Amino acid sequence: MDLLLSYLPYVDAICIGSGYALSQFIALRAGLFSLGSAGFASLGAYTAAIALMRYAVPAAWAVLLGTVVATVAGVLMSVPLARLRGHFQAIATVAFVEIIVSLALHFDHFTGGPAGINGLPKLVGTWELVLFVAAVAAFFAVIERTGIGRAFGAIRQDDIVARSLGISVARYHRLAFALSAGIAGLCGGLAAFNSYTIEPQQFGFGLLTLAIGAVLLGGRSSVAGPIVGTAIFVLLPELARPLSDNRFLLQGALLILVITFLPQGIVDGLRRRRAAAGSGRKGGPEIVRTPAA
Amino acid sequence: MSALTLRAVSKSFGGVLAVSDLSLDIPAGRITGLIGPNGAGKTTVVNVITGIVKPTAGRIAAGEHELTGASPEAIARSGVARTFQNIRLLHDQSVLDNVVVGFHRHETTSLLANLCGLPSVWRERDAFRARARALLDRFEMTRFAMARADSLSYGHQRRVEMMRAIAAAPEFLLLDEPVAGMNQVEADGLGAIFRALAADGIGILLIEHNVSFVMDLCETIHVMNTGRLIAHGTADEVARDPAVIEAYLGS
Repeated sequence: MDLLLSYLPYVDAICIGSGYALSQFIALRAGLFSLGSAGFASLGAYTAAIALMRYAVPAAWAVLLGTVVATVAGVLMSVPLARLRGHFQAIATVAFVEIIVSLALHFDHFTGGPAGINGLPKLVGTWELVLFVAAVAAFFAVIERTGIGRAFGAIRQDDIVARSLGISVARYHRLAFALSAGIAGLCGGLAAFNSYTIEPQQFGFGLLTLAIGAVLLGGRSSVAGPIVGTAIFVLLPELARPLSDNRFLLQGALLILVITFLPQGIVDGLRRRRAAAGSGRKGGPEIVRTPAA
Repeated sequence: MSALTLRAVSKSFGGVLAVSDLSLDIPAGRITGLIGPNGAGKTTVVNVITGIVKPTAGRIAAGEHELTGASPEAIARSGVARTFQNIRLLHDQSVLDNVVVGFHRHETTSLLANLCGLPSVWRERDAFRARARALLDRFEMTRFAMARADSLSYGHQRRVEMMRAIAAAPEFLLLDEPVAGMNQVEADGLGAIFRALAADGIGILLIEHNVSFVMDLCETIHVMNTGRLIAHGTADEVARDPAVIEAYLGS
C-alpha cells in the first residue's frame, strides 16, 4: 500500500500534464495551430489562486472562475487570429504565452511576481484529477462523432473544401479556441490547488513544449494519444534514473525517433500497424481498406 | 425560373486577365456547358462564383441572392455546390464520412446540442448516414462505403466528390471536369445522373474537356478562350463557329 501511495504524485503529474495535452489536442483537431494552452492554463491557475487567497472565494467557484476567464480569453484571441493560418497562428500564440508570463512577473502585488503564490491549500487530490481527465477525454470522444467533429475534420484537412461546404472556419476556430482555453484554464486551476504553489515560469515555454510534445509523441487522432504521450514524458526520467539529469535530451531524442518512425504518434501509429498486420483488410478502427479494385 | 447569373465579371491576377467581361446564365433545371482550351479561365469562373477568389469587376447572383463579394461559406449556404478539378477529399476518412460532411448545410442541431451530445444530434447523424448511403447506392459505390477515400481509384474519388456536393442538395451545382479520366461507359452513367439532377430542378454548370460528352448533355454551351467568352449556343452552333474552331485547332 505504501508503495502504491508513493506512486500517486506521478499519477497527479500525468493527469495535470494530460489536461494540458488534451487542450493542445482539441486545437489541432480543428486545424488550429494554437500553442496557447500554457498561457490559458496560467490565466486559470492565477485567477483561481487569487480569487481564493485574496477574496476568499470558495475553491470550487474559484476554479470555475479561472475556467471562465481562460475561455473568454480564448474567444477574444480567436478574433485577431482568424486572419492568420498555420505557422503565423502558432507564432502569435507563442507570443501570447510569453506575454502572460511577463504579466504574471510584472503585476507582483497581485501575482507575487517571480516568487509566485505560495501557501495554497491542497484541495485537489488524485481522484479528482483522474475524474477530470476521464471526463475531458470522454467529452472530446463524444463531440468527435457529432457535427462538430465532422466540421473540425474538414477544416483540418482542407479549409477551402470546408468553406465550399458552408462550414464557417471562423466560427469553428472560435469554438476550438474556447474549448482549448477552457480545458487549459480548468486544468490550471486544479493544478494550483494540487501543488501548494504556482509561479509564472511554470506556465512558460517549457509547458508549451510539453503539451505539443505529448500530442506528437502519443498521437493526435484519438484522445488516448495525448494521455499516453504525457505518461511517457512523466515516467521516462524515473525509469531511466541514470539519465534523468539529461531528461530533456532523452525527451528530444524520443520525439525525433517517434516522428521519424511513427509519424502518427505511438497510439495511432501502433493501432494502424497492428490493423494492417492483422488481416491486411483493416486500415483503422472503423475504416476497412477495400481490396484493390 | 431562377438562374445563377454572371454579369460582366472580370478577374485579374496581378495584371493578367484570367476572366474578362464574362456574362453567362446557369438556369435552374438545365445543364449548361462551359468548354475551352487549357488556360481559358474555366476553373477561375468556378472559383469566382464560389467566392474563393473575389471578382475584380462585375456582378454574380443566384436568383434573388446577391453573391458578389460574399464569403465562400455564405455562398455555399445559399445553395451553390461545387466539385474540384484536382480532387480534394478528406483523404484519411471513409467514403461514407466524406459524403456525410456534405450535409453540413442542412444541420439543424445547435452547437450547444452538439457539445452536449443530445439525442437529436445522433438522430440527425443517423439520418445523414441513411441519406448518404442512398447516394452511394445511386452512384454504385455502396461497396466502398467504409473504404478510406485515398484508397480509391481516381474515377471513384471523383464520384465521392460529386456525392459530397450533391449531399448539400444545392440549387446550383458546378462540376469541374467530373468525368476526367473515366471511360465512355462510366461517363455515360454519370451523364444519366446529371440529367436526373437537372430534371429535379438543379442548375448545373458542366466544365469538361470531353467535348462530345458536353455536346451530348447540354442545351447551351459556352466556349471560353484566354479569359473571354468567344461563342455560345447549341452544340451544333458552337461546333460550326469559326472562332471556336480556331481556338481549338489554332490558326
